[in-house]
Amino acid sequence: MAALLELREVSKSFGGLAVMSRLDLHLDEGEIVSVIGPNGAGKTTLFNLVTGIYRPDGGDILFDGKSIVGKEPHRIAQLGIARTFQTLRLFLNMTVKENVMAATYGNTKARVWQSALRTPFARREEREVDALAEEKLSFFGKRLIGYRMEQPAYSLSYANRRRLEIARATGTSPRVLLLDEPAAGMNPVETHEITELIGQLRDQGGYTILVIEHDMHVVEGISDRVVALDHGEKIAEGSFEQVATDARVVEAYLGAKAVREGKAAE
Amino acid sequence: MPRIGTDEWVEQQELRTEYYTGLTAPARRAFDRVGPGPRFFAFLGICALFPFLTDSPFLIRVGVNVLLFALLALGLNIVVGWAGLLDLGYVAFYGFGAYTYAWVSSGQFDIHLPTELAILIVVTASALLGLLLGLPSWRLVGDYLAITTLFFAQIFVELTTNLDRLQLPWMDEPLDLTGGPNGIPGIDRMQILGIELPGVRDYFFLLLIVFALVVIGLYYVNESRTGRGWRASREDPLAAELMTTPVNRLKLLAFAMGAAIAGLSGSIFAAVQTGVFPQNFEVVLLIMIYAALILGGAGSISGAILGAIIVASVPEILRTPENARFLFYAAAIAVLVATMRPWQRLAVVVGAVVAFGVVVYQLVALAWPEGVEGETAGGRFSGLLGSWMVIPAENQELIGNIAFVLLVAGVLALTQLRGDARVMLLVPTLYLASFVWENRLIAQPSVTRQLLFGAILVAMMTRRPHGLLGTPRVENPV
Amino acid sequence: MDFFVQQIVNGVTLGSVYALIALGYSMVYGILKLLNFAHGEVYMIGAFIGYFVLTSLGGASSPMLPVAPLLILMFLAAMLGAGLLGVVIERFAYRPLRDAPRIAPLISAIGVSFFLQASALLLFSAQFRTYNTPQLIPFSTGLEVGPLRISLVRMLVIGSSIFLMLALTLLVSRTRLGKAMRAVSYDREAAAMMGIDVDRVIVATFFIGSVLAGAAGVMVGLVFERVFHFMGFIAGLKGFTAAVIGGIGNIPGAMLGGLLIGLAEAFSSSYISSTFQNLIVFGILITVMLIRPTGLLGSPVLKKV
Repeated sequence: MAALLELREVSKSFGGLAVMSRLDLHLDEGEIVSVIGPNGAGKTTLFNLVTGIYRPDGGDILFDGKSIVGKEPHRIAQLGIARTFQTLRLFLNMTVKENVMAATYGNTKARVWQSALRTPFARREEREVDALAEEKLSFFGKRLIGYRMEQPAYSLSYANRRRLEIARATGTSPRVLLLDEPAAGMNPVETHEITELIGQLRDQGGYTILVIEHDMHVVEGISDRVVALDHGEKIAEGSFEQVATDARVVEAYLGAKAVREGKAAE
Repeated sequence: MPRIGTDEWVEQQELRTEYYTGLTAPARRAFDRVGPGPRFFAFLGICALFPFLTDSPFLIRVGVNVLLFALLALGLNIVVGWAGLLDLGYVAFYGFGAYTYAWVSSGQFDIHLPTELAILIVVTASALLGLLLGLPSWRLVGDYLAITTLFFAQIFVELTTNLDRLQLPWMDEPLDLTGGPNGIPGIDRMQILGIELPGVRDYFFLLLIVFALVVIGLYYVNESRTGRGWRASREDPLAAELMTTPVNRLKLLAFAMGAAIAGLSGSIFAAVQTGVFPQNFEVVLLIMIYAALILGGAGSISGAILGAIIVASVPEILRTPENARFLFYAAAIAVLVATMRPWQRLAVVVGAVVAFGVVVYQLVALAWPEGVEGETAGGRFSGLLGSWMVIPAENQELIGNIAFVLLVAGVLALTQLRGDARVMLLVPTLYLASFVWENRLIAQPSVTRQLLFGAILVAMMTRRPHGLLGTPRVENPV
Repeated sequence: MDFFVQQIVNGVTLGSVYALIALGYSMVYGILKLLNFAHGEVYMIGAFIGYFVLTSLGGASSPMLPVAPLLILMFLAAMLGAGLLGVVIERFAYRPLRDAPRIAPLISAIGVSFFLQASALLLFSAQFRTYNTPQLIPFSTGLEVGPLRISLVRMLVIGSSIFLMLALTLLVSRTRLGKAMRAVSYDREAAAMMGIDVDRVIVATFFIGSVLAGAAGVMVGLVFERVFHFMGFIAGLKGFTAAVIGGIGNIPGAMLGGLLIGLAEAFSSSYISSTFQNLIVFGILITVMLIRPTGLLGSPVLKKV
């Protein structure tokens, strides 16, 4: 079975600096794969390349067997790839529900004149969008529904804003979710919840998930497979145990000295 | 002010449980309960009564101006308030609509299309022009877009002023496209569905209908996916793009719709005025539309309407000294009442200003009698100023100018002071403001108007960027 | 040939003035990412200050001072006055909006520009004032080298422009203030954390930019003689065009842009049509903006996602 998302020898440079060198990566449907690596390893660049913000200098990116290189970001999102951001990028002045509703734009069709005249089609589509938003929000329990739905997004607490960011991404009805450090800044309890949530997203939501994470507890808890990057190259791939004890990974995180001191597996 | 991470709804829970008290309570509660629909229709009803309350065609013409302004503000609101794009060339669409209507409904080329067709052409052409001018927004953001659109507006003025002698190589005589500085006179009256529109009153009702349709349409568009798309693009274009919103396409749509509304208004303006001239569409008008939108609250339909009402009526009121004087003092009192709490402090300040004035008057009368023998513009209340306001008989202009500079300095200083020092400076500053008003400004309505609008823009952006009816925004940390 | 050379002289003269105005725009944009629409008005006020100094000292026909000290006094007064005005504008109309979204200070700037124009109209009335330069410095004095005929006034203007621009370049590249200005324009927060008083640097930038605009105002008064309340608007637009064409935020770019616009205007008004000269200039701008938005010498801005 072909991979749902596949990167083949993808390269990207800025000026003279190569941030990605001939990277091969694949994501099969239903998997949860974590991408780890020290800062500057190219993890966010990976997301930017997949979502179309950057265009690769070399190689190809395939979604469902078809190349998506050169497509505009909103087209790629419509095809079924959604992401969250390392630093939250919510629509702060819009309400919680509107944030999710806004994400349905590409999958809806009402034209301006139909909206202005409130044709039956437009009204029906609006109801559907409304229902979809509520459904996606209720995935997170009681936190984002009820009176909260009409509150501006800036009034949410940090953890709820992180959840809303994920909810909004699911509003695009994607097949693949790219989560960029979903547990950043969370306390242990919230981190545990996120870990469970990601599993639920795959099991109940049916999403295929690629996660960038630094928190190894989360990585350990969710991953079917782990990929380690450093300087834009893949340095290890496998189960969490395999990757966590890989000599190159230890060296990338802790330095060569740690390897010599025996932190790596044999 | 809103802050990220703070749940205001919960924090204001106590305030929420307080009901309105007093005589106005039932009315205010009813107002809250009623939705935007009935409120708007009530407003429309009041507007519709307006032409029957007065016989003066001048006043009805003012009403027409207010409605035109409201349409322009609403159109600009799409581009600036909803999509968050700075279009400084907006007034060019207004002019383009007017001139296009003039081309197809006047003696300029001797084309006299039926009104319905003419309007259709105007709206379509304006929308296309909006698309064209919006194209730079594809590549340019923020400031660069502002510059480019500003230049388009300049180009429009230049073209309309100079395209009356366009010598094309294959023609014997120069082509007169725009009538140059004299514009295009003799524009046909409109005729909708067979009904002639000869008088100002008819145009008022036409505009009222157009206005109502535009407001209703825009309201629904704002509540729909398009409105959300615009607002998301304004909040964070990159995030919006990644959430399936085609940001660039929506920007173009905003430009096109804003332009279409402006063009439509322009055509009606041309018909009302029965002529179009380049001076109608200069930067002054652009500033006024922006002032209206910023004052009322960008992003809010009701804000655009309120701002337009204020900005369009002020110049009219300033025309006659009596009304102008009334407006000045009424506005001054209104601002004081709105900003000074408690009542006692306000009374003290007003009393102090009066006393201050009387004292100054007496001192000046003693030291330099000519200083108080001047005359100010007549009209109501000018007698009341008698022993309070110093009006020099000689050098009125020079003294007034110096006072103006001092006034500006005083106002700026006031923004830096707090507490008692502020109140103490406020008193002479208020007197000085009246002085400048009576001696210099009251006789110069157009300059006063320009000063006012410039000041409104600065004051609003630095003090209350969301305007009177807008909602305060939180900005994304960059 | 004579005509052609004459246009070059005109172009360079105009260009020096536009360059001075453009520098003010560029410097402020570089440091605050703000388009200071009110800058044209500062230039206008500079022209008026020069005018009032001239007339209060007897006017061009019967000056109380010899020409050289009179001119120096006019320049200094205009430069100082304009500089102070620039500082006041920054303090009250832009500083409160330092962290607001970009639209806010832009609208505020438009408001200031409009307010200043209206104030000038109120204080000085719509009447055109004239410097009456030929009475002071006869046009016949000047240089004649082959086809090149350049009056003393124009030489003065070009010369002082070059002097001011050199002074500015030295300031930016050699002094501590210049270094601080460059640091703040790269990264305001980091500069603050390195101990640079960002507010002071910004005030200095506005002051210097406005000083240059004031000088430009007097120069225009001397060469073209007419001073009126609306002159800031068009000159501001063109100075602004020059800054953008050269690459906004870029000091050599502003100088280059100014020169180009000056030459373009001189040549298009004489060879093509003076009616459409403004259109041509604006057309150049739009073309450059669409092809190379960062200007001829500007550098593209990288944004981290």
